[in-house]
This record gives sequence, structure tokens and C-alpha cells, in this order.
Amino acid sequence: MPIGNAEPSVRPVPAGRTDGAAAGSARRRRGARARPGRGGSRAERFAPYVLVAPAILIIVVLRLYPLLLGVNFSFTGDGERNGQAVGLDNYLELIEDPLFRTALSNVGLLVLLLPVAVAIPGLLATFIYLKVPGHRFYRSVYFFPAVLSPVIVGAIFNLLLAFDGPVNAVFEAVGISPVDWLGNPDVAMFVVVGVHVWATFGMALVVFLAGFATLDAALLDAARVDGASLPQVIRHVIIPGLSRTIAFVAVTTMVGMLTSMFGLLYVMTSGGPEGSTYLPEYYIWIQQGQMNRPALASAASTVLFVIMLVVGLLQVKLLRRAGGED
Amino acid sequence: MSRVRLSRWLLAIPMSLLALATIYPLLFTVNVAMKTRRDYILDRFSVTDTLRWDNISAAWNSVGMDRYFLNSLIVVTSSVVLLLLLGSMAGFALSQLRFRGSSALFLGCLAGLFVPFQVIMVPLARIMADTALIDTYPGLVLVFVAQFLPFTVFLMTSYYKTIPREVIDAARIDGNSVYGVYRRIMLPLGTPALLSVGILNALFCWNDVLMSLVMMPSADHRTLMVGVTSLRGQYSDDIPTFASGVLIAAIPVLVVYLFLQRQIADGVAAGSTKG
Repeated sequence: MPIGNAEPSVRPVPAGRTDGAAAGSARRRRGARARPGRGGSRAERFAPYVLVAPAILIIVVLRLYPLLLGVNFSFTGDGERNGQAVGLDNYLELIEDPLFRTALSNVGLLVLLLPVAVAIPGLLATFIYLKVPGHRFYRSVYFFPAVLSPVIVGAIFNLLLAFDGPVNAVFEAVGISPVDWLGNPDVAMFVVVGVHVWATFGMALVVFLAGFATLDAALLDAARVDGASLPQVIRHVIIPGLSRTIAFVAVTTMVGMLTSMFGLLYVMTSGGPEGSTYLPEYYIWIQQGQMNRPALASAASTVLFVIMLVVGLLQVKLLRRAGGED
Repeated sequence: MSRVRLSRWLLAIPMSLLALATIYPLLFTVNVAMKTRRDYILDRFSVTDTLRWDNISAAWNSVGMDRYFLNSLIVVTSSVVLLLLLGSMAGFALSQLRFRGSSALFLGCLAGLFVPFQVIMVPLARIMADTALIDTYPGLVLVFVAQFLPFTVFLMTSYYKTIPREVIDAARIDGNSVYGVYRRIMLPLGTPALLSVGILNALFCWNDVLMSLVMMPSADHRTLMVGVTSLRGQYSDDIPTFASGVLIAAIPVLVVYLFLQRQIADGVAAGSTKG
């Protein structure tokens, strides 16, 4: 990551700045601090801060400060106990709440399904990189659902997966009994995750293809000349060569599953049937907006934040190690 | 070698099936939107023989999709303009100017990347309510800008890093102030990145539902995506009108995708390789 800036600065050119304002501020400056070549008017010296200030201000006030506020808020009460310190009560209530437990076990399910969600775009990118006939066409078709809103995707799949909808009609035609895709608690979560993967694998595919562009083509050619099969090439050339990309896709896919499935849940299942498709983000929304329990929602938010930190750190660590061994 | 070639052709089979699975749901929806209710109930799959626009205009007029569309357009346009302006200003300063605290400020921007909206939803809604910004256009615009600014600053900073320092030095010698360099040099040179980041941000804002739902709750402030979610209840027995509403919300995105696919993919790729 390009953090910091070690290169020399653009220096204001004193010769070009002989106007009154510049001279005035130069006079005001304390002589000891004034280094040669570092001159320029006060306005010029403050310019970088002026340029960065609006962005920093917005990010700090509307992103970082609310994070602290929320954590703080999670230790206070709701309703009658509004504003009072209640210690860990909200967290204890979360543990007791079957809906939040379902949300957490669904997070566990997402972690288990993560390898699949990474492998699918990874394999497809491999095929496209190896120039399967029609690879350009596939590339643009696969990417296309990634630009659709989860709301649109959810609405479309509501039509397709309705009990009397077309998918079940096809099933009936081939003699399979219809499935209650969104009404069966054992099935619904898998369906929603499947739809999410359908809608987002194109994003990961593009990231993989960008990674492939950095892969040493000579290695691949050498492997092929040696008669390596496709699985061998994937295992010994592509996976080690792309470990950074794989780590990046794994983390972004996990973060995506934790933070961008709300639209699908909202449109497709509303957390049901029997609360089986709850995820933390949906729980937070329900508690905040529908149940009027903002402090409890804040506690759930804090838990979600911790989950995301842990998942991110773990994955980066694991994949870095895996990459290092090869 | 021929074995490899054969296996490539074999791969084309699952890949084209997947392509079909990717494209068919949308074609199905378009087809349904063109049908009458009766046709849909009688036969879900048959390709409609006439192109009927009745459902589309019904969805547009009766449910208020026109109003939602306008809301989305206002909010998304303002958000993207602000994002590009603030993002390029900060990106220019963080990449090309040296000043005390610049790396700390850059890290501060990046930290925003790791705070998803869900995590700060409650306090943010409270802040917006306290400042009377909830349920207003500026309120949602601010929330969008705060959401996507870290990513925008990050991409603009990495893009501006690739511009040689001599370009800026030369402009300074010509007597430009820092702001002059930003306006006359960095903005025009940044066009490709601004285009990519702008399209991505426009898509993100246009497609958002959670932020819009929390920040713009009242019925005539609904954005288009929130409007689509309200269609479900109203038109559960009139699938073609429902499908039409969905289509209205999807069409702008589809058009953008058809013409600007390259830039979208480049933006996504840039976000990953520069990370």
C-alpha cells in the first residue's frame, strides 16, 4: 500500500511570488523558522491542508467519530434506561437472543462457503486467462450482474424462485418435486448466499484477471511445454503466483458477504422464514429501525465490527503463510 | 497441444451454460415486463409476441417511480460531483505535496475504508437527526460522500502518484499557485481516473438501499431502489407491472454498463492492484 510520501515536495518558487500578500507574510514569519526555498505566502503553505481538510473532516466526523460513539452507546440502555450506563447488559441480551445467534451462525456458514465463493471466480478467471474460445464474451457477460443493485437482483430472483415460479415449473417438467426456495428454513439461507454469489462473482473475476496480468507468462509456458495438466498448472503455477490476489479477493468477498447482503435479505426473505436468514447487518437494521432499540443495535454493530476485524486479520495471516511456503 | 485445445473446447460448455445463467434472469424479467397479466399466468416462458409498454408506463406513473427516479438522480449526481471534487483535491495534496502530517492524514482517510455503514448506522442516524439532516437530500448526500470518500481519496492518490513531479514543477515556475496547479493541471490530467472512480461511485450510490432506507425514510423522499422494494407489496399479484418497475430501476445501470464497461472494470481492477 502506498502509505506516506517520501518524495521531495513541490516547492513554491519564491521568484514567482513577489506580490504584496507574499511579502507581507514573509515579513511576519519568524526568521529562525524560515528556511531558504521554503518560502511562499501563508496561503500557499496552508494550501495542502486546505485541499485535504474537507475530505478529512467528513471522514472523521461521519465515519470515525460515529464508530467511537457507537461503541460507547452500546454500553447504555434503551427506552426507560435511555442514556444510563448498563455495562454489558446489551451484549448479554444479544447472546440470549435466538435471532442474533442465528445471525452469528449464518456468519459461520458464510465463512465455510467462502472458499467456494473465491474458487468460482478464480477458476473462471483462469479459463478466461487461458483464452477459452469466446473469452472476451464471457468476461463481459459474467461481470454484468455485478453492476446491478442487490434490490434488483433480489426482485428478479423473487420472480424466478417463487413457489409457483419458473424454476419450479422447470423442476416439475423434469419430474422433480418443487422446492420452496425462500420459504424453507433449511434452504433459504443457501439460496440467498447463492444469489449473492451469482450477483458478485463478476467483481472478483475482474480482480483475478487484473492479478493474472502480473503473472509471469514464461512460467506458464514452461509448465505447458513440460506437459503439465490444467489442474497441475493451477496448483503449482497459478495459486502460488497469485497468492496476494487470492488473499485480496478472499477478504473483499468476506467483507462483501458481511456488509452487502442487506438488499437481498430485505427483498427476498425479510430475515425469514423463522428468522433463518438473519445476518448481523439485518439484525442491526431491525433493532434500530423497527424495534426502536438503538443501544442494542449498537452492541450488535460493535460485534459485527469485531468479526470483520478478526476475519480480515485471520485471512490475511493465513494466506500470507500459505503464500510463503510455496 | 491438441489435448489442451480439446480441453479448452470442453471448458466452453460449462462456461456458456454459466453465461446463460447470468443473462437469462434479466431476459426473463424483460419478457415478463412486456406481457399482460393474463399472458403471464397462462405461460411464463413464452416469448412475448408484441412489445407492450403499458406496464412500464403504468409502473412509471402510478407507483411514483418518476418521483423516486428524480430523487435518485438528484442525490447520486450531487454525491458524485462532491466525491470527485473532494477526492481529487485530497488525492493531489497527499500524492504530490509534502506537508507535516500528510502520512497521518492519509492513514486517517484509509481508516474510513474499514468502517462499514452497518457498524455506524445508529450513531450516524442520530447525528443526522440532531442536525436536522435526516430525510433531506443533503443528509443522504453527506452519508454517501462519507461512505465512498475513503476509496475515492485512495484511488485518486495512487493515480496522481504516477504523474511526474516535473509537470507540477514546470507549472509552478510558470507562476501557478497550488490551487492553480490543481485546477489547470491535476484536474485535466486526472480525467481517466476521475471518470472511472466517478462511474463506480455513481453505481454504488444508485444501487444503495440500506443508507437510503435509513436516511430518507419518508415516502416522497424514497430513492429508486427503496421504491423498488415497496413495489413488492403493492404488486404481488401483478407480476408484469412489478417486473416493469424493476426494469425501470435497472435500465440506467444497463445503459451505463453497455457503454462504459471498460471504465467500470478498470476502476475495480485499479482498486485491487493498488491495494
